[in-house]
Amino acid sequence: MPELPELNPIIHGKLRLALLSLLSGVVEAEFTWLRAKTGSTDGNLGAQLTKLEEAGYVAVEKKFVQRKPQTLYRMTETGRQALTEYVQALKQLLGGAI
Amino acid sequence: MQEQTNEMELKDRLSLIESMIAEGRRTTESWGWSFVLWGVAYYVAIAWANWGHSGLAWPVTMIAASTLTGVMIGRKGRNRPATTMGRAIASIWIALGVSMFILFLSMSIGGKLESPQIFVAVAAAMLGMANAASGMILKWKPQLACAVVWWATAVFASFGSEEQSSIAFLVALFFCQIVFGLYGMVRDTRKRNPGVSHA
Repeated sequence: MPELPELNPIIHGKLRLALLSLLSGVVEAEFTWLRAKTGSTDGNLGAQLTKLEEAGYVAVEKKFVQRKPQTLYRMTETGRQALTEYVQALKQLLGGAI
Repeated sequence: MQEQTNEMELKDRLSLIESMIAEGRRTTESWGWSFVLWGVAYYVAIAWANWGHSGLAWPVTMIAASTLTGVMIGRKGRNRPATTMGRAIASIWIALGVSMFILFLSMSIGGKLESPQIFVAVAAAMLGMANAASGMILKWKPQLACAVVWWATAVFASFGSEEQSSIAFLVALFFCQIVFGLYGMVRDTRKRNPGVSHA
C-alpha cells in the first residue's frame, strides 16, 4: 500500500494557506490588501505572515511612499515550491474524491 | 465519520486555494470605469470638434482624460497589488494611448487627417488590437467581442461614406466603451469578499 503524504503544517493553517494562495497570483501585495481580502485582524494577519516569513515562504519589504509606511509581501521560490507540493499532497490524499 | 470530516476539510482547503488565487487575479479586471471615462471623453471631443469647430477639442479632451485617468489610478490603485497580468494589460493601453495621441496629433497638424473615414478606420483598428490583446490575456470573451466590433468598424469605415463611418464609430463607442465599461463596473461590484479569518 503506497504511503500517504503528510501535509505541511505551516501551510495547512487556513489563513496562512489563503495568504500564500493570494500571493501566488500577484507579484507583491500590501498588508492592507491582504487584510481586505482575508477579512483578518491586523494582529492575526501579522502573526501568520511572520510565521510564513520565518519559514522562508514570503519576503517582506518595508518602505515609505509619500512619507507613509508601506509593507509589501512577496512569495519566495521556496514558498511557491511548498505550495505546489502542498496542493499535490492534498490531491493525493483526496484521491478519487475530487 | 472522522474520515468524512477530514475529506470535507481537505476539499475545503482545495477550494480555498482556488478562490484565493482567483481573488488575486480579479484585481486586474476592475478597469470598467476607465472604459466609461474614455467613451465619454471621445463623445465630448467629437461633439466639441463638430459643433464648436475647435482644433483644440481633441488634444484638450485627450489630455484632460489622460490626467483624470492618472489621478483615478493613483487613488484606486493605492493598495492594489502588482500583478504581471496587470502590468501587461496596462502596458498595452498606455502604448495604445501614446500611439494614438502622437499619430492623430501629427496627422492633424500635417493636414493628413482630412477624411473622417481614415480617422475612424485607424482608431477602430488600434482599439480592436488593444481590446483583443487584453481579452486574450484575461481570457475574457466580452472584451474579445468588443475587439471584433472595433475591427468590423474599421472595415466598414474603409468602404462607407463619411456619415456612415461616423455613425459606426459612435455606435461602436457606445457598446465597446460605455456599455462594456458599465458591465465591467457592475461585475466588479458584485465580487464578494470571501473572508478568511482563522489561522
